[in-house]
Amino acid sequence: MTPELAELRDSARQVLAAEGLAAPEDKTWPLARDLGWLLVAVPEAQGGLGQGLAGACAFHVEMGRSLCAAPYLPAMLAMEAVIHAGREDWIERLGSTALATASLADATDTPLTISDDKVVSGAVTAVPSADRAGHVLVCSAAGDAVALVPLAQPGVTLRFRESWDTTRRLFDLRFDGVALDPSWVLARGDEARVLGRRLATHRDFALAADAVGGAAAALEMTIEYLKTRRQFGRPLALFQALKHRCADLKARIAAAEALLADSIVRVGTRVHGAEAERLGKAVKHFATAAYAAVAEDMLQLHGGIGMTAEHACHLFLKRALLNEQLGRRSSYELDIADALLQAS
Amino acid sequence: MPRMSGDPETLRADVRAWLQRNVPADWRAAMTGCDQDAFVRAQRAWFDKLVQAGYATPHWPAGWPGGGRSLAEQKVIYEEIARADAPRLILFFVALYHAACTLIEWGSEAQKREHLPGILQGRVWCQGFSEPNAGSDLAAVRTRAELRGEHYVVNGQKIWSTLAQHADHCLLLVRTDTAGPPQAGLTYLLLDMRAKGVSVRPIAQITGDDEFSEIFLDEVKVPVANRVGAQGQGWAVAQSTLASERGLTLVELSHRMRYALSRITGLMRERGVEADAALRRDLGRLAPKVDATCALADQYLLKRIEGTEAPGDASIVKLHYARTLRDFTALGLRIAGLKGQYREPFIRGGGMETGNWPFDFMNSYNWTIAGGSDEIQRNIIAERMLGMPREPKDWRLSGERT
Repeated sequence: MTPELAELRDSARQVLAAEGLAAPEDKTWPLARDLGWLLVAVPEAQGGLGQGLAGACAFHVEMGRSLCAAPYLPAMLAMEAVIHAGREDWIERLGSTALATASLADATDTPLTISDDKVVSGAVTAVPSADRAGHVLVCSAAGDAVALVPLAQPGVTLRFRESWDTTRRLFDLRFDGVALDPSWVLARGDEARVLGRRLATHRDFALAADAVGGAAAALEMTIEYLKTRRQFGRPLALFQALKHRCADLKARIAAAEALLADSIVRVGTRVHGAEAERLGKAVKHFATAAYAAVAEDMLQLHGGIGMTAEHACHLFLKRALLNEQLGRRSSYELDIADALLQAS
Repeated sequence: MPRMSGDPETLRADVRAWLQRNVPADWRAAMTGCDQDAFVRAQRAWFDKLVQAGYATPHWPAGWPGGGRSLAEQKVIYEEIARADAPRLILFFVALYHAACTLIEWGSEAQKREHLPGILQGRVWCQGFSEPNAGSDLAAVRTRAELRGEHYVVNGQKIWSTLAQHADHCLLLVRTDTAGPPQAGLTYLLLDMRAKGVSVRPIAQITGDDEFSEIFLDEVKVPVANRVGAQGQGWAVAQSTLASERGLTLVELSHRMRYALSRITGLMRERGVEADAALRRDLGRLAPKVDATCALADQYLLKRIEGTEAPGDASIVKLHYARTLRDFTALGLRIAGLKGQYREPFIRGGGMETGNWPFDFMNSYNWTIAGGSDEIQRNIIAERMLGMPREPKDWRLSGERT
């Protein structure tokens, strides 16, 4: 991480810590937007901070740490799409005023189509904060078109889906023959296929980073609790059975952090392509599984208090469980195994 | 030979080309089912080649043959050795790292002059630290050394000493004082394994190998000149012995593990189970874990290069490697099925994933037990990294009388 990025990261951490864990979206979204956090991955030539994937991931880690409710992750995916499509007009709009959101998962029952005469039909799922967004980034199920679709128009239906994770508000979106202005289309054909793969890899890295941040914060909280809570006349942190569990969790988190950092370096600027895809899948799988394991133990190690709604344990657990399910429709493990079996 | 610290990538090309020419093509076959003497001969031949090329001692200071390489260059050499699937230098590991680094840091000029050239000539060293009652609790060492005139007279027993049966010298940790805290009474000696009163007994291991030995010391005279550091300074000297390889071994071994993933996929094909969804899922879970192990080992070495290592960092790398190796070999074992349960000869000097899966699985305990067990690593991580309190010193079982 460059010193410049570390500084940006530290200031974001401070700002988010001041807002508190899982602070309301109404407070954190304007902050993220007004402080220019959406510009972190935008190239300097286009008025951004030029920190690329490493920069985006550093911020996603902080969002994860603070259980941030702001729709930063989907907004960054939309930003990535307009950067890649070279749409400078959009970079400025999305970086400062408008929110464009995006789906965090492939899975849907009604595949999305964008016809040649630019009519959008079908559905997308797991779209955060769609009710406050002006546009949604969509990729057609066939991969042949990527577009920003305005949400406030006839034929677009939003359905709020209450998830167990209350730190994100997810919507299902339906499009019934929605006509699309040609200027909303960001890419078509092969270009769209490349962009779609690129966005899926970005999403994998972003979810992994969110998980890494959440897992680290969850373990820190747990250890603080174990140091304070006394039973049998001693702090729980003195029991070796609990120390060893914490050490195992720490090793797993450190491994996820190292894998994330290493994969970002390996990807470099080549976010398209099979190698970046493989790295993204590996780190997404490893980090979200680690987060879920840490959150699972966090609740157990907190005991009864962890089962109460007033304590933050359940917020970490629910976000971790959702992160594991977001992303690609196919099985990460099987995809990774397939790639290995084919390569050798 | 001429060599200067330079661009690690230039070095990489050189090392790669050299390895291509020099790794014995048939070494795996030759080392499969061979006896230990054949293994020792092969290790010596390979060691001589590496010494001549200057690749055995990149971590030695400038001025020594092959020495003066940066840590980044050392990493390159290890990565390439892993990539080339070259034999591991097991016989000379203690000499090249533990003995050499300890002497370089603590040794007298006379000790350096006497022993460092000998290491390059193939003198074998072993480590005499652990004892039957001083394993995880190393400070509990009981082997006594009594100063009598110009000699220490040593009595006691050491254990888990790798290839001590072939060693010329031993790094010996002994007790010279029983008063005060246990660490303060330790002294560090260089023992000639041919001295009168030294006897070595190899230990039959569960793998069928007898790599470890016990060393018995009966009225063994060690000249005072063979003491490293001051009397009572043994604990500090031993710490630098243990830190000497600086994470390089785990860079090599984690990269070897990543290359060995192709042994798992090859085995799945060979056994006709490449479509088995459960095994595929296990493989898909294992591969990112292996990647993460490599990333951790690389990152740790980078921290050492930058001087930003924190307490517990080394333990995290070792713990994660050890657990991943267990998973790796366990998966090999499961894929190998019943066929894998029939005994096949094992390979000496291979990596930790030789493809003899029951052997590899049993051998993986080397990493979860030796060099500070997983449990000790967890204590270190919890106490020094996470700031959790240490075990209280006073204890009593309920019902026990004081």
